Amino acid sequence: MLRRRKWMFAVLAVLPTLAIFAWVRLYPIAEMFNLSLRDWDLLSPRRPFIGLENFIDLFDDRLFIAALINTTIIALGVAIITIPSAIVIAALIHSRAGSKLAPFYETAIFVPHVVSLVPAALAWKWIFDSELGPLNAFLGVFGIDPVAWLHNPTLAVLCVIVLCSWQALGYAVIIYLVGFKNLPVSLYEAARLDGASARQSFWFITVPLLKPITLYVSVVILISGFNVYAQPFVLASDTQGSPSHLVRVLVYDMIENSFSNFRIGYASAEAVILLSIVMIITVIQFSILRDRSGR
Amino acid sequence: MNTETTAKRGPAGRARGLLLGSALTASALAAVSATAQEITVLTGYPELEPFYEHVAEGMSAEYPDLVVNIEPISLREHERRVALGLTGGLDDGTVIEFASAGAQRFLEAGLLPAAPEDVAAYVQENFGEFFVDGVSYDGQIYGIPLFRGQSALYYNTEMFEAAGLDGPPTTMEEFTEYADVLTQRDDAGNPTVSGWSLRLSGGGQGIAEKFWINLHQFGGTVLEQTEDGMWRAAYASPEGVAALSQYLDNLYVYNTVTSEMPADAEAFEREQTAMFIRESWVIGDIAQNAPDLPYATSVLPTGSIALSQNLYVMGDGEAADAAWAFAQATTTEDNMIWLLENVGWLPNRSGLDYASVIETTPALDAFVTYPDDYAFFTLPAIGPIAEILTRLADQLTTAYADESLAGDDAAIMALLEEAAEETNEILDREGLLAE
Repeated sequence: MLRRRKWMFAVLAVLPTLAIFAWVRLYPIAEMFNLSLRDWDLLSPRRPFIGLENFIDLFDDRLFIAALINTTIIALGVAIITIPSAIVIAALIHSRAGSKLAPFYETAIFVPHVVSLVPAALAWKWIFDSELGPLNAFLGVFGIDPVAWLHNPTLAVLCVIVLCSWQALGYAVIIYLVGFKNLPVSLYEAARLDGASARQSFWFITVPLLKPITLYVSVVILISGFNVYAQPFVLASDTQGSPSHLVRVLVYDMIENSFSNFRIGYASAEAVILLSIVMIITVIQFSILRDRSGR
Repeated sequence: MNTETTAKRGPAGRARGLLLGSALTASALAAVSATAQEITVLTGYPELEPFYEHVAEGMSAEYPDLVVNIEPISLREHERRVALGLTGGLDDGTVIEFASAGAQRFLEAGLLPAAPEDVAAYVQENFGEFFVDGVSYDGQIYGIPLFRGQSALYYNTEMFEAAGLDGPPTTMEEFTEYADVLTQRDDAGNPTVSGWSLRLSGGGQGIAEKFWINLHQFGGTVLEQTEDGMWRAAYASPEGVAALSQYLDNLYVYNTVTSEMPADAEAFEREQTAMFIRESWVIGDIAQNAPDLPYATSVLPTGSIALSQNLYVMGDGEAADAAWAFAQATTTEDNMIWLLENVGWLPNRSGLDYASVIETTPALDAFVTYPDDYAFFTLPAIGPIAEILTRLADQLTTAYADESLAGDDAAIMALLEEAAEETNEILDREGLLAE
């Protein structure tokens, strides 16, 4: 009886939190699925059910396909640049853990992550500027002709990847540093006694032991990569003066379809596809990177 | 108590929840100050904030307790804010700026209330048919026409003089010829100052609107209406080829401009381009940022776009009455002249005497004095116009970046036909495609 009361108390204690979670998290997702099967223009009270028509139309929509490709390249590009860089930088900072400058290194690498996104993107827009930007000025020192970074469709995507990586790196390094601090020292001592070099210890002890951290970091970075919006928007925004090539990404396309084109059902279908991609990639990451030893 | 104005600058991407939150906060404040009559002005043109403040000050004698909250934000964000606000609910007494074409969806959905009879009569009496049509739906008047975006040529007089040109171009052929002469190049032949600044990149429908203005000079149009009131794409035509060819020729044949060069008003004010086509607001911008710039304006060869921005009012009761009074006050003769003189947007009201303004700002003359056969066009008031133009803009930016198209009329026509097919598909989806 007492046990049942305790159980009831626990359920009642958790219920308000669950109710709020369901209302602000689960309901919008369910509604998104519902809207993706309907033709709704945001204004009309009618929301006719059209089945999978929105999804069929999407895969015949060149702007959506372009957005999907760009977003995927950006998300994967950011992950490919950020994760190896973060491990190496975290290892370097960890190796200088006793130094007085260690907090400075950590802060310096983390600052871009907390800088407000729009001013940071504007600063990078100036850096990439083909005529006035310091990047081309630097390349000019080596006799390289100015490059139209933000106007070439391929280079513009690369610029977004660089900007997103610059912002994500600090967060990844901090997480990896936590991982480094928890690695068992005894394993390294044993490896040293067995004659392993520092590089071998890194490859065969550090990297495998950091797999759970790598899993977490890669999931977070890929999800944020697939949700990229502000960076390409600022780099090529529709402002007079210096517009650039617009790198169309999924969130941009969704916002345009929702509030400019008034196609809420269509945008919801895009959101469903984005969610599905993120879920599938996350599952793949878990299956590849999870610790199979059961620990 | 005096008439007060407050300006609130909302962050980009404000969501419906935030709007509703603001509305609740505003309601709470209204309850506290029971005697004050509060109205809100939602504007997508931040430069109009001083104008609305001026109007509010002018109303202080008649409405001593009126509080006018002005909430300026960039145009695209404003459009999203209004879309969310109108569907989620806005306070009674909210004045909303809207382009005629943009308001269409909301009028069709019955989300904007009709103007009171006296306001409708005022609009009929003081505005031309073009503007009355712009605020009408199903035979009823819903708003007050305020100002319009109309284009003219801005040109740097010193650069023209240095190039031996004694006046602005008067045909589209001359535009290219003049641009070639005006372009300043480095030793390698690369342009350093563009002869003619063209909108070549970026996002949004502005690129297609600018193309349409040029297309109009060749006698073409992006969309044409048939007798049954339906629409179809009309730019896959010889005029469309001519307009797009001109862009490509300037980019790749004459090298008068590149997509990387600084562009638009900013470039003109810094003397990085010799000429460009823009609306009248640039005059105020030049006065503020480059007062010593040697420039003049001129009408375009055959006509211009005229995009009317109108004021609509939400709700009913006392707050709505005050809001309608405010909206009407914006279009008094004095306030209209103040708008032109201080902000630069062109008033829509008929019968205004511009003499004093032209005397102090001669550049405005090209916007208010034009030939009798000068032809105006506007964006069709159809729901999917933004989507049509945004998708056309995407096709155009791809074309502008494709050097192989220059001089190849067949390839240009093929590209325009492909784009037109997409436009017609959108019209068909919305039940608007002509047979």
